[in-house]
Amino acid sequence: MTLTKPSLPMHHTLLSLSVASGLAASLALPLAAQDMPLSQILVEDAGWELVVEGYEFTDGLTTDAEGNLYFSDVKGGNAVFKVDLEGKVSEFIPNAAGISGLKWGADGRLYACVSKEQRVVVFDKDKAVTELAKEVRPNDLVVTHDGNLYFTMTPTSEIRRIDPAGKMTIVSAGVVGKPNGIALSRDQGTLAVSDHGGKFVWAFRIEADGSLAHPGNYMTLVTPAETPEVGKGDGMTTDVHGRYYVTSAEGLQIFDPTGRLCGVLPAPDPTLPVVSTCFAGPGHAWLHVGNGGKIWRRKTQTSGALAFAGPQASEVVPK
Amino acid sequence: MKFALLLTAAFGLLTTPLFAADEDYVPGPDAMVKEGVPQGKVTQHQWKSTIFPGTERDYWVYVPAQYDGSKPACVLVCFDGGGFVKADGAFRVPTVLDNLIHAGDIPVTVGIFINPGVIPAAKEGQEARKNRSFEYDTLSDQNARFLIEEILPEVGKSVKLSANPDCRVTCGNSSGGIAAFTVAWERPDAFRKVISHIGSFTNIRGGHVYPALIRKTEPKPLRVFLQEGENDLDNLHGNWPLANLQMEAALKFAKYDHQLIMGTGKHSGRHGGAIFPETLRWIWRDWKTLQP
Repeated sequence: MTLTKPSLPMHHTLLSLSVASGLAASLALPLAAQDMPLSQILVEDAGWELVVEGYEFTDGLTTDAEGNLYFSDVKGGNAVFKVDLEGKVSEFIPNAAGISGLKWGADGRLYACVSKEQRVVVFDKDKAVTELAKEVRPNDLVVTHDGNLYFTMTPTSEIRRIDPAGKMTIVSAGVVGKPNGIALSRDQGTLAVSDHGGKFVWAFRIEADGSLAHPGNYMTLVTPAETPEVGKGDGMTTDVHGRYYVTSAEGLQIFDPTGRLCGVLPAPDPTLPVVSTCFAGPGHAWLHVGNGGKIWRRKTQTSGALAFAGPQASEVVPK
Repeated sequence: MKFALLLTAAFGLLTTPLFAADEDYVPGPDAMVKEGVPQGKVTQHQWKSTIFPGTERDYWVYVPAQYDGSKPACVLVCFDGGGFVKADGAFRVPTVLDNLIHAGDIPVTVGIFINPGVIPAAKEGQEARKNRSFEYDTLSDQNARFLIEEILPEVGKSVKLSANPDCRVTCGNSSGGIAAFTVAWERPDAFRKVISHIGSFTNIRGGHVYPALIRKTEPKPLRVFLQEGENDLDNLHGNWPLANLQMEAALKFAKYDHQLIMGTGKHSGRHGGAIFPETLRWIWRDWKTLQP
């Protein structure tokens, strides 16, 4: 048999009208979360612009409340560098070599993974350094508004937490093969961790006591054809609409809050990897990537989620 | 166009439309409660999954009045179940099942209506992690195992369910549509009948490859019903009407028992709901030859 288009006899239509008030509600099937194409993020004719060059390997890109950019030169440099809103580059913290992750805390201090020295430290306002953990293998970190620091230990498949009292615990072991990039959802209820040795970005629930629960391989990276199981997930950031930005072998990959791929921005210099990303600049609307010895930025229609400013609900993208 | 429609309405001119707008697709007589037709019972339940760790969800079970426990019942699983089970929804599945079972058009069928999982927020003010896309759009056997290892055994504690895969249907809309297909594709030993409305055979999480897979995989013993609308989505994930046409062409090429109904609707359940009784009659057209 074949089915045909339904006939619409009059009595039927009237019958349906009598329940029309309930119709809209009854059709409220959860058919689709908000679709988030790249066209909602990118600005027409506004491509990548060079911010700095001449470094060996830029990493640890992060921003503060004003939108200044901070970064390290993890392989060659000996400082935390700052790019202010006028584009002026300066040494912000001298004698700070081998940093692979940087984040400002709500306490106004700058937290750092000093991978070269195998320790996690914090710089206070007068740039004095305090050690938070030693004999660790830190790669990248986030700091929640309530002062919990989570950092990835790529070689040991661990995620560790340093609580506000300074106590360190292993909060995930063996779940993510090569945990690398790390980001907070805007409401700070979900911790996302990229796998440098696999193809997933994992989501964990942050429990009320700061532990992690319910890991899920929530986002799947586009991977190179020659290494379909290895996406080289690296540094991450999030925006005010709840999207996740993940650097990878294939460039910067963007996912919506339900884990669906929005799109991929290839590396500005395709001969070098992108390994670190953040929003900075005026209004935190400029997407930055560390791409080998260079940092690039581009204007967007969105802006970065700032963990130190406190947890907030994701904003719906205006039509 | 809008202006012309307004004019038509203003002058009270009731003409036969050249095409059905999405709102013109409405539930038919088989979706209305009929006098003298025995009504089955719907119960609501909650489930915490281990296959989808940390997720919680509601599900509903419809047991027809004709089920007497003497033999196993056939099974209809609907994803995004809350929409399908609603008494005033686009589908009204319990009422449709009442009417069609009573008429002898379909076998005695237990309906299982399952919502997608969420990982609830740990703290007040935070959002739950929605697991729908992960569960429905992923091309893996995880959702099939969730049904086979968790939900069916649980429902089976209170009602005898058929183990015959030809007596078990999966059904869904949009991502639930591709999920219905994926369950049967991964586990034809457990499910062989598929109903997909406005199915997302697009690149949400790689589902656009199905037409290619269907053409180059040894055919599976599935019966597949697809409903789609010419005005369905065209977005970053793909073009829904084209994707469903590709599915139809691939199913035809590989000689599957299949049917695509292409209407003029949008990305809603209206058209699928309007024709749902006919869809069930088609999917169950030879049910009297089956042993539940």
